[in-house]
Amino acid sequence: MRVLHRKLIRDLIASAGVLLSVIAIIAIGTGSFVGLGSTQRILEASQAGYYRDYRFADFWVDVKKAPLAAVERIAEFPEITSLDTRVVFDVILDLEGEVKPLTGRLISTPARGFDQTLNGICLIRGSGFSDDRSEEVILSEAFAAAHGLEIGDRIKLILNRKRESFVIVGTAISPEYVYMVRGPGDLIPDPKHFGVLYVKDEYARDVLDFKDACNQVVGRVAPWAQGDIDILLDRVDRVLAPFGVLEITPRRRQASHRFLSDEITGLAVTAGIMPAIFLGVAALVLNIVMIRLTQRQRAIIGTLKALGYSNRSVMSHYLLFGVLVGVIGGLAGGAMGVGLAHVMIVMYEEFFQFPRFLVSYHTDLWAVGIAISVLFAVVGTVRGVLEVLRLHPAEAMRQKPPERGGSIFIERLPWLWRRLGFRTHMALRSVFRNRTRTATAITATALASAITFMALAMYDSFAFLVDYQFEAVAHSDVDIGMRDEASTLALFESRELPGVDYAESVLGVRCDLRHGRQARRMMITGLSADHRLTTPMDADFRPIRIPNDGLVLSRKLAAVLDVRVGDRLELTPVRGRRETKQVRVASIVETFLGMDCYADIRYLSRMVGESLAVNSVQLDVDPRETPRLYARIKQTPNARGLGVRADAKRNIEETLVETSVFSIGLMVVFAGVIAFGSTLNNALIEIGDRMRELSTLRVLGYRPGQIAGILFRQSLVTFSIGLLLAFPLGYAMIYLISAAYDSELYRLPVIVRSPIVAYTVGLALTFVLVAQWIVHRQIQKLDWLEGVNVKE
Amino acid sequence: MHHETTIAKEALLRLDKANRVFRMGEVDVRALVEVDLTITKGEFLVVVGPSGSGKSTLLNLIGGTDRPTGGRVWHGNRELSSLTDDALTEYRRSVVGFIFQFYNLVPSLTAHENVQVATELVDDALDPQEALEMVDLADRADHFPAQLSGGEQQRVAIARALAKRPELLLADEPTGALDLPTARSVLDILQRLNRDQGITVVLITHNPAIAGIGGRVVRLVSGRVAETRVNEHPIAATDVAW
Repeated sequence: MRVLHRKLIRDLIASAGVLLSVIAIIAIGTGSFVGLGSTQRILEASQAGYYRDYRFADFWVDVKKAPLAAVERIAEFPEITSLDTRVVFDVILDLEGEVKPLTGRLISTPARGFDQTLNGICLIRGSGFSDDRSEEVILSEAFAAAHGLEIGDRIKLILNRKRESFVIVGTAISPEYVYMVRGPGDLIPDPKHFGVLYVKDEYARDVLDFKDACNQVVGRVAPWAQGDIDILLDRVDRVLAPFGVLEITPRRRQASHRFLSDEITGLAVTAGIMPAIFLGVAALVLNIVMIRLTQRQRAIIGTLKALGYSNRSVMSHYLLFGVLVGVIGGLAGGAMGVGLAHVMIVMYEEFFQFPRFLVSYHTDLWAVGIAISVLFAVVGTVRGVLEVLRLHPAEAMRQKPPERGGSIFIERLPWLWRRLGFRTHMALRSVFRNRTRTATAITATALASAITFMALAMYDSFAFLVDYQFEAVAHSDVDIGMRDEASTLALFESRELPGVDYAESVLGVRCDLRHGRQARRMMITGLSADHRLTTPMDADFRPIRIPNDGLVLSRKLAAVLDVRVGDRLELTPVRGRRETKQVRVASIVETFLGMDCYADIRYLSRMVGESLAVNSVQLDVDPRETPRLYARIKQTPNARGLGVRADAKRNIEETLVETSVFSIGLMVVFAGVIAFGSTLNNALIEIGDRMRELSTLRVLGYRPGQIAGILFRQSLVTFSIGLLLAFPLGYAMIYLISAAYDSELYRLPVIVRSPIVAYTVGLALTFVLVAQWIVHRQIQKLDWLEGVNVKE
Repeated sequence: MHHETTIAKEALLRLDKANRVFRMGEVDVRALVEVDLTITKGEFLVVVGPSGSGKSTLLNLIGGTDRPTGGRVWHGNRELSSLTDDALTEYRRSVVGFIFQFYNLVPSLTAHENVQVATELVDDALDPQEALEMVDLADRADHFPAQLSGGEQQRVAIARALAKRPELLLADEPTGALDLPTARSVLDILQRLNRDQGITVVLITHNPAIAGIGGRVVRLVSGRVAETRVNEHPIAATDVAW
């Protein structure tokens, strides 16, 4: 068989042009499989290693102030293997040269062995705390980097109504903030405006009045008790209830963990779907290539059989063709996959902070990737070869009988058929007679356009989400959170702040909401009766007024609690007298970030059993006055946090543009390879098959452009049908992705706006036109004299 | 040398009321009708007839590349018509050498390699170079079919056929695409192989001028044997003229 191998290699080289498109599609399939798969594994391994080495906690309990003696009682639970207490405080930071006051989260940590605690700190720069002074801080690395802060620099913060100056002794990361967001409701880390600050335990407890007390308990649970963690946390809740439990967060609801884990799950899903699509198309295209190759080699196959080659050896000869194509595509794809994984990890480094990514080259993924591509290539090959092998050698050596004749259905509409020129007739007949080829072209176009459509629509969907949340729903320029509740006086005070045109007071109260077996601890946002700075909207994006009584829930929260408008909920504030009351669901609104729950501020105050209270204000600010406003806020000891809508919006937009350009660009390129490859491949095969016919037209005096027109008409028919199928298909993909991302952290709106449809058509058409241009060139180069005399 | 059996009139192949019907769409085409024919070892048989008379079909039944739809084909004591596909492949491999009108060379292989395609199939094959020497093409061994003239390509095809040391050479219009001088040299090679090495040759042609070189001539008309004639004095291939 050695000499046949030589034939094989020469045939491969001879049909390199056609095979290149197949190999590219296979390579992309394997590449996305290896790339996404490796990235997923790298993230998984990095996450697991980090969590293990730095003892990532299993639960967090936020309390108002719990004595350590009470916490001791929890530590005795046999399910709990270790427990740490700490003081966590949100503070306003004053950075030199930074006009804006920034938000920081202060976390107390032992001066020695801070890397040994639960949620241990991994020092990146600096040497950690010294014995020289108390006012030392370790900053989150991303925050320090975003502000160009160095070891030895000083930062000022307001602690317990006193301005304190801290020396930066280190920068660090922690498994709690792999994805550094404040909490649910934040979509993307914003290291410019939010940082974590670690200070010495002793110092923090002292300054913040937490001697022998804490306001956060973190713990780990024995593996055997993980399944019943909710029951355990209920018991913890009961023990700590007298001290004001604000929040209990099991690991699965911890924001950073959720984002990271959701990302890994998303990768796993994509790694399953994308390669299947690409390899499926590759198999279809290869199938066509092989059918054509074997048909063109009918005489050779017949001769080989006449010489005494068995079906098996002829079959394995051609199968080897498929195997080689698969291996070449698989190897190229594997290399591409490693590159892809590398690029993705670089991208992820901006979002997820690990001590290091555990990068390894997953040779098993390569092997599986190559095996899959070989399998698909072989599947594509078998049919083509079987068709010829079924023939007697004598029959195989005879010229293939002409394609099935007969009229196609359009010919039954003579008034239409007569209007179409003969070149359209030729194109249409060819489309309807080569069923497999047509079906493949349609499938490829449909999938490619659907992927493009989906990618563009996802971008649009994010853009919509950002506009919706930061323009349509929220209108306040600056939100200030206050440490202590104030009377409505605070509102009047805030109206006096420099540059404030208008202010509204807001009361946020943490409450347990319960409906049947479903329960969630939620922050309920109390808005004033004439609220103008927040516009909750219903599912049809119509503004909703907050009613005088009852709650307004976001759609996701309503789904989690399994309630409809008119249903009753049990509401228990987690502070004050903690009386459980029945409340009505007044309406349901659409939100895409976190979960929201609104009520009238007076109604909410009554529920809590207090007179009207305020703990944050929303401000409409004159932009020219913001520096003065910021300066004042920096001086306000009661300010606990600051939100600037424009900053949040810009951060999300910038990040989305950055990542979307990459991922959407990649998807569009991949889709383009499918559309382009399959169109080109089909047209080249068509030229090969109809050499004599096309050459005859050339001899008769048709110009290359007119002949290319026949093939173009043909492409246009399959392209149009494929495109029509692409939109429902793409819509289904968007719907599935939206369903896959439907979490308590965020949802993707399924919104399809008309420009996306136009862009999709435009992009798909571009790829087809480029392929067509190559076809045109091929026809110009056609040796038509040879073609007419071709002996078949 | 087992080929040197020119004297003994031993039957190599026998067709026994062989029929071959092709179904072409709605109609049955009877390509061969009740053909009885015996081919003896070492003879040079020419089958003539106009196109569509069933010559190629006859050749394919003999060569084991097709099966009769009725009747039997015997190779010695073996009934070809009842062999499995594998056995038939083995028959083609060890007994038959094919020569086609359009040579059917693999375009992506050189002359030498095209011969190798055949020699790699059998254990006691000739060396490809030796086979090419026998058709006077040793110096063109590294040429691809596209670089060879029609006559040269046909000689490569002959080298390929004889390199397997077949008992039987089947030539289907071997000169159909060649001019007279080239055709003469190709026919000369076939005649020499038959005469010097005792290889049985069955040659089919529509050209009555070629019939003279055979020891026996069978004329087919409409799938039936119309005439069988023994040539006491075959003419030399070099004297063929048309």
